[in-house]
Amino acid sequence: MNLYIVTLILLIVIAPILTSFIKSLKMILLFKQPASLFQGYRNISKLLKKETIVSHESSQITRVAPFLVLSPLLITLLFLPPVMHESSYINFVDAFTITGLISLSTFFLMLIGLDSASGFGGMGSSREAFISALAEPAMVLTIFAISMIANNLGISEASKNLSHNFPQEHMASFIFAGISFFILLLAENGRIPVDNPETHLELTMVHEAMILDLTGFYLMLVEVASSIKFIIFASLFASLFMPFGIEFSAPLALLIFIIKLFLIATIVALIEVNVAKLRLFKVPDLLGIAIVFAFLSLITFYILGA
Amino acid sequence: MFLYDSLSLTFVFMILLGTIPNLFYSFGYLPHIKRKWHYLVHYFAFILSLLGVVTSANAMLFLFFWELMSLTSWQLILTEAKTKSTTDAAKFYFFMTHIGFISLLLFFLLSTNGNLWMSFEDMHDIVSNFAYPTILFLFLSIGFLSKAGAVPLHVWLPYAHPEAPSPVSALMSGVMLKVAIYGMFRFLFDVLYPWQLEWGIIILVIGSISSLVGVLYALSEHDIKALLANHSIENIGIILIGFGMGMIFDSLKLETLSSFAFIASIFHIFNHMSFKSLLFMGAGSVLHQTHTKNIEKYGGLIKSMPVTAITFLLASISISALPPTNGFLSEWMIFQSMLSSSNIEHTSLKMVIPFAVFALALTGGLAIACFVKAYGITFLGLHRDENAKHIEEVNFLMKTGMILMSLVVISLMLFTPFYIKIFDLAMVSLGKASIYALIFPNGIFQMHSVSSIGASVSPIYLLALLIGVTISLMLAYKMLNVKERVHHTWACGYQTSCKNQYSATGFAGPISRFFDWLYKSEKHIDKKIIGSHETKFTTAHYEVHTKPLFEKSLYENSTKLANKISYWVYRLAHFEQTKYSAMIFNLMLFVLFSYRISVNEFNWATFLLELSVMFISFKILILGVKK
Repeated sequence: MNLYIVTLILLIVIAPILTSFIKSLKMILLFKQPASLFQGYRNISKLLKKETIVSHESSQITRVAPFLVLSPLLITLLFLPPVMHESSYINFVDAFTITGLISLSTFFLMLIGLDSASGFGGMGSSREAFISALAEPAMVLTIFAISMIANNLGISEASKNLSHNFPQEHMASFIFAGISFFILLLAENGRIPVDNPETHLELTMVHEAMILDLTGFYLMLVEVASSIKFIIFASLFASLFMPFGIEFSAPLALLIFIIKLFLIATIVALIEVNVAKLRLFKVPDLLGIAIVFAFLSLITFYILGA
Repeated sequence: MFLYDSLSLTFVFMILLGTIPNLFYSFGYLPHIKRKWHYLVHYFAFILSLLGVVTSANAMLFLFFWELMSLTSWQLILTEAKTKSTTDAAKFYFFMTHIGFISLLLFFLLSTNGNLWMSFEDMHDIVSNFAYPTILFLFLSIGFLSKAGAVPLHVWLPYAHPEAPSPVSALMSGVMLKVAIYGMFRFLFDVLYPWQLEWGIIILVIGSISSLVGVLYALSEHDIKALLANHSIENIGIILIGFGMGMIFDSLKLETLSSFAFIASIFHIFNHMSFKSLLFMGAGSVLHQTHTKNIEKYGGLIKSMPVTAITFLLASISISALPPTNGFLSEWMIFQSMLSSSNIEHTSLKMVIPFAVFALALTGGLAIACFVKAYGITFLGLHRDENAKHIEEVNFLMKTGMILMSLVVISLMLFTPFYIKIFDLAMVSLGKASIYALIFPNGIFQMHSVSSIGASVSPIYLLALLIGVTISLMLAYKMLNVKERVHHTWACGYQTSCKNQYSATGFAGPISRFFDWLYKSEKHIDKKIIGSHETKFTTAHYEVHTKPLFEKSLYENSTKLANKISYWVYRLAHFEQTKYSAMIFNLMLFVLFSYRISVNEFNWATFLLELSVMFISFKILILGVKK
């Protein structure tokens, strides 16, 4: 139980650092003066001090929705697979609940975009709706594949099964599912081939456009939510698709887990530096690749025999 | 005469849940209906016929109530028959529903040997001796699915539902479509029982296609009630996916999984009844206050109609299958039953099921997009038209109806075990083993999948956590005592106005562009250009119209075909006399050749030879030389 709480707190604490890490790594690679790893925390404390300005045109939704953007993601953190084998965990939750909670958060985010009567907000919501609608089938199929490979639909049990007795014969479908999930990690978190989190250019922005009219505390909530969403996907990837290191004793296992998270962040940063952002209407091609890989994973799994 | 087993009582319960809030709403709506008596008589007869259909114990009574249901709902659509579109929609509905009726009549005549007063058990004996049960299955499916609105018999829904008065749309979409599914349950189990594997696959495929088609056309729709009607097609598709999975599992002798899928399907029937009725009531209230169905003219209604807005939000979250609502729970069950397909031994069948999973998941994603659009454009932002500017909340009775219906939605979410118990009893009455203890093995807080590798979900924990975390975050915000200032939205230096906002067409723009190969929409751009410069224009008008693919390809083309045939028949009557003898000659050849094929063994070489002989004689003798 203690280990569970420690992991939970650690994940929340590390979430802003991880996104700042990607940012500073990108800056180093672009020969810029890197931002501090604690830039995320600085932003949060800055936003906490500011007053909130609420749009005159917006309704009660703007005052409630930011909380509902963050809280489903915080709840999702509770259900993540264990990172240490001694740690207790919630074993009954399956991946549909997790994707559902993430969609719930996105639903309210899209409502915020439409609430302020600004063109940018609607633009962001519309694009987000488009991307997340196409990401949903890829997500469900990938989960279907990995839970078949791990022989359990519960997400924590699946990760335990994978790390204890990894099914070598299904390596191919495992890798296909991994590729698909990594594309989803990029798409759902609005990383570069799909959305550029750093610009406010109206031609390209998706996530930033929806929250353009939020300020102060509300903006802080949504910013925290997006870093927590990243850490959810990163730790799902770390536990399901890098199934090792969990069997060591507590501090070492935790350390390995954190290294895995930073490794994922490094890969994301490298992709962001090397890849150009796709046009909005090219994004379905990328998601299509994810869907095809998920199908491939399932089909190879069935052909090689359950 | 009447039947009161648990299946019937379950559906009676569903009808009551659907109609009681509707009664309040209906009486609130009544002052705005001109032909009050006409409306009331048909309204109550409609409810009575719904109850009659699910309790009748023989074919005659069933058909009587079924027809009564069709006719009263047809008259209810015509309550406010002011425009041609209403009468056209009613005509279309009348036509489609009677195609279904004829098909049902054929089914009953075949399966009762003509004695329509026979009980369902006796029908089972006749059917088990019937040589071609698939024909019966097809008649049955056409009959019920044309009423339920499954693809390709769904085309009447987006016309008929918007034209009916809103309480009637809520009843038709929420309850009447489900009564058709009751028919599927009743007659597939009681009459046609040992199913073939193909039937389940047919239902699964129809369900998958319906769910995708429904949600895609809902996205491109600007009429709020037509949008909801298209969503009914989607949800019927989801119900049929569960039903089809149940049939497939049953044919493969996986009893528990099959019961689980059927329970998921009934659960979704209840859920769709609750949230779709609520959505139609909400849409009706909005329509009632703004006097327009065009979603592009709404906006900002949450400020003037808070009760409608909140209940509509609840229903939107639920229909988008977001946790922890009831819509999520039933969709979760359907997903779980599809994921249990690894127990199937049949490899090729196993590989088909991921495609159904894909269809259902894409449907879920698009449904979220669609309801963000419907909710955001209707209730959020600024009013887009004068209609939406000076309005107020609807009257007390209508509000009561909506609140009662949202209580039904909430109860389906909170008391899931209780409802599952009822559905389990219904399945027991159809001769399945009870699986309630397998779904809730550790008390009522956790719902389990019955598959060996299944997971579980617990709506109450989720809801409690969600409320707890949200409230503690809000308290933190209150404790911080942040200063709050209200200011206009920044509109890049222009005055903030409704013109800055995204429209519904704009919102669905990326999706409709991506699916343009399906929509093949007609775009009208109207620009007033200054000084012949294409890039500079004073005013512009942009409209997109999407005509449903099925209607265009299937229905209009069959009309064209019928026209061509009738023209040809007309030509036939005006042939020269020599050609008649040529035709008789050809007919004789045809009969002889077909006789040979049916009697002797089939042989491709002679078949081709005969075909070419037929073709040549047809070409030379009948068509002749072109002038």
